[in-house]
Amino acid sequence: MPKGSSETSRPPPERGRGRIAARARELWRFRFMLRSLILRDLKVKYKRSTLGFLWTFLNPLLTVSILIAVFRVVIRIPLEHYWAFLLSGYFAWNAVQHMLLSSSYILQTHSGLVRSTAFPKEVLLFGAAISRLIELAIELALILAVLGLVHHQGVPVGYAFLPLLMLLLAVATAGLMFPIATASVLFTDVQHTLPILTTSLFYLTPIFYPADMVPESFRGLYFANPFARLITLFHQALYEGRVPDGGLLLGTAAIALGLFAAGYAVFNRYKDVCNELV
Amino acid sequence: MSSSSARSVRIECRGVCKRFYYYSHRTTTLREWFIRAVMRRPLHVRSEEFILRDFNLRVESGEVVALIGRNGSGKSTALRLIAGIYAPTAGTIRVNGRLASVIELGVGFHPDLTGAENVELAAGVMGLGPRALRERYKEIVAFAEIGAFIEMPMKYYSSGMSARLAFAVSMCADPDVVLIDEVLAVGDEAFRAKCIDRLASFVERGGTILLVSHEMPTVAKLCQRAVWMENGRIRKAGPAAEVIAAYQEESGARQESED
Repeated sequence: MPKGSSETSRPPPERGRGRIAARARELWRFRFMLRSLILRDLKVKYKRSTLGFLWTFLNPLLTVSILIAVFRVVIRIPLEHYWAFLLSGYFAWNAVQHMLLSSSYILQTHSGLVRSTAFPKEVLLFGAAISRLIELAIELALILAVLGLVHHQGVPVGYAFLPLLMLLLAVATAGLMFPIATASVLFTDVQHTLPILTTSLFYLTPIFYPADMVPESFRGLYFANPFARLITLFHQALYEGRVPDGGLLLGTAAIALGLFAAGYAVFNRYKDVCNELV
Repeated sequence: MSSSSARSVRIECRGVCKRFYYYSHRTTTLREWFIRAVMRRPLHVRSEEFILRDFNLRVESGEVVALIGRNGSGKSTALRLIAGIYAPTAGTIRVNGRLASVIELGVGFHPDLTGAENVELAAGVMGLGPRALRERYKEIVAFAEIGAFIEMPMKYYSSGMSARLAFAVSMCADPDVVLIDEVLAVGDEAFRAKCIDRLASFVERGGTILLVSHEMPTVAKLCQRAVWMENGRIRKAGPAAEVIAAYQEESGARQESED
C-alpha cells in the first residue's frame, strides 16, 4: 500500500480468500441492479422492432449465408454439411464479439450513474455480458434443434456439454471485457480500435474453417488464442456431436480462469481512476 | 430504519484528504501512448492540488449537518467521498447503515429509459428488489408528482421533474443516512416545502442527514450543526446559527470590499 493511503470502509481491507468473499457479498447486494440492467437491455433491444428476436437472429444468419456462398462455392472447404459447421461456431463467436464491443462503451453509457452513485462498476459489465449470453442461449437452442433434426438425426451426446462450454465462453470473454472497459475510459480511441482487433480475431479463430486445416507446426501458437480453443470445442460438441477433447477442455478452462483473474485485477487496479474520468 | 434507537455514529471521517490532478497534457489515445512510450516522453503533464485536507467529521444518528462555503471549497468533494463515489487519497471514512445519496440530482438517470425503468434501476442500486419496490412504487410516483410522465423517457422531463423523482426514489429505500447536494434548490417552492417536511420526519425517526447548501435559510431551519469549508479545509464548525453568522459576516465584508 502506498505511503499516505489507508483503509476505507469500502472495500474492507481483507486479504486472500476473505477478500474474495467480501467482494462476492458486495456484488450480491447489487443483484437487483444487475437484474434490472439485464431486463432493460433485453427489453430495449426487442422493443425496437416488431420482428424482435427474429430480426436479431436474421442478422447473423445473413452473414452465415454469405459465408456459405463464399466457402462452399468459391473457396471449397471440404466439410459435410458445411452450413451445420458454420452454425455451431459462428453464433458463439458473434456473442463474444458483441460482449467485447459492449465493454468498450458500457461505462460511458452509464456515466451519469458512475459519477453520481457508488456501486461496483463490474455490475455494468456483468449485465451486458449476461444479457448477451441469454440471447446466445436462445439462438443455440434453435440451432441445436435444427442440427438435431437435419444434421445428426438424433440427439448426440455432445449437446450435454453445451452449458459447460457457454460457461467457459462467458468466463474467458469477461476476462477480456475488464481490461477493455478500463482502457476505453483511459484512452478515447479504444472504441475505434477494438473492431479492427475483433475482425482480426475472426480470421484467427476457426469459424469458417476447421482448426484441423491449420498446419500442425502452427497449431500450438494458434491455440494460444482462447477463442480458437472455445470455438473448436463448440464444433466438437455441436457439429461432431461428440464428447469434447478432455485435454483441450481442461486447457481452455485454465486459460479462461487465468484471463478472468488477470482481467479483474487490472480492472480493480484502475477502478478509482476510472470513476473520476468517466 | 435500523433498530438502534440510541445515538450511534453514522458518519465518521478522520484525516481525509483528496488530491486531484489538473492536466495540462493528458495522453488520451492508445496511439499517443505508444508513441510517447517509444520516445520515452512523459505520458502526462499535470499539477496536483489537494481539494480536501485533513477533513474530520462525526455525525450521529438523528443529526442534520450542513456543509457550507463558497464554490470550490471542497464541500461536494467531501460529500462524494462519503458517498463512496471517490476514494480518499488519505484518511478513513466510515458510514454505518444504509446510505442514500442525492448528489447531482437526476444525473444518475439514463435519459433514454422511462421514469419507471430508472426508478427500478435506482432502487436496485440501493439494494431494493422488485417486490420491495412494488410496495413503494405508488408512493414514489405520488410523491414525485409526475403522473403519466412516469412511462416516458426521462429526456423529456424537466429538471424539476427528474429532481423530484430522484428525491422520491432515494427516500423510499428506508436509508439511515442521506447525503444531499444542493438539491433542494431545484424544485419549486411547494415541492421544496414537501421535501423539507419529509426530511424532518426522517430525522425524527433517527435518520441522519449531511447536506451541502448555499441557501442559508434552509440550512438554519434544518440543521443543528454546520461546517464552514474554505480552500479544502474546515474553517469553522459548530452550532448552525453561529457558523452561518460567521460565514455571512465574512462574505458580506468581502462583498463590501469588492464593491
